[in-house]
Amino acid sequence: MISDRELVARITAVDDQDALRLLVERHQGAVRGFLRRLLAGDEGTADDLAQETFILAYRKLHTLKSGGSLVSWLHSIAYRQFLQHGRKHARQTVMAEPPERGHDPRGAVEAEVTIPRLMALLSEEQRACMTLAYAAGMSHPEISGVTGFPLGTVKSHIDRGKRKLQEWLREYDHSIPGKPGHDGKRRPNRA
Amino acid sequence: MPDPFDETLEEMLAYPEKDSSEDLFVVDVMRRVRAERRRRRVILFLFGGIGALFGVAGAVMLSGAIGQLFTGVLSSTVLMQLPLFAVAAIAFYIWVMNDDLAIGR
Repeated sequence: MISDRELVARITAVDDQDALRLLVERHQGAVRGFLRRLLAGDEGTADDLAQETFILAYRKLHTLKSGGSLVSWLHSIAYRQFLQHGRKHARQTVMAEPPERGHDPRGAVEAEVTIPRLMALLSEEQRACMTLAYAAGMSHPEISGVTGFPLGTVKSHIDRGKRKLQEWLREYDHSIPGKPGHDGKRRPNRA
Repeated sequence: MPDPFDETLEEMLAYPEKDSSEDLFVVDVMRRVRAERRRRRVILFLFGGIGALFGVAGAVMLSGAIGQLFTGVLSSTVLMQLPLFAVAAIAFYIWVMNDDLAIGR
């Protein structure tokens, strides 16, 4: 499989469109997923922002430092697109509408209905940090690099977001193992 | 000590599986990239053409007496307006080609 680095080199050197297509195919799931989580399920806007993210990445690809992580860089652009979108359109507050009792957000069928509502319970910063940590599998320093938050703030957003979700799940009779207190060391790549 | 709730969160927050909209998304992005490249070429051609025209005009004008260039052909008002137009054109060019200079890592 061709590495991201090689694809980037081909695009920046000879404007290789096949390499660009491959790069978009490879990373669109993560970028769209991230934006969908940030926008608490507004899939249309999330996909528009994801398109903007890839267009902007194409324009700025030459600025990606050699050795820099393409995934983090794309997420970083996506996050800035999200913030810019919020500034441009006086953001409509997403009303937290917790799912009804008995719904299990871990079930594959209900997840796509329930998770956006659960995400709406969190602040934007918490949504960003939680998604990057648990869906994208990034380490805390990586999240700090993507969002621009200091490391301590990242940890605090994750801890608070986690506590909120845990409280909600407990309240709605889901069996939750353990207590909050994300130590950031569970995954091999997490700091 | 690993937190068992982390696993629950990973399961809950995981991105959805591949869906049918993915191919369409890639097609849309590539279509916009093509349009972007076309626009760049048009802008480069346009500004290159304007530059070439000015170059030719400058060469023609410079072929005459330098004094006549500044006093006879161009009035002082035009000479004062020219830098303004030049700055406006450069600003427009930068805006079109780099609409977000802040993102560079």
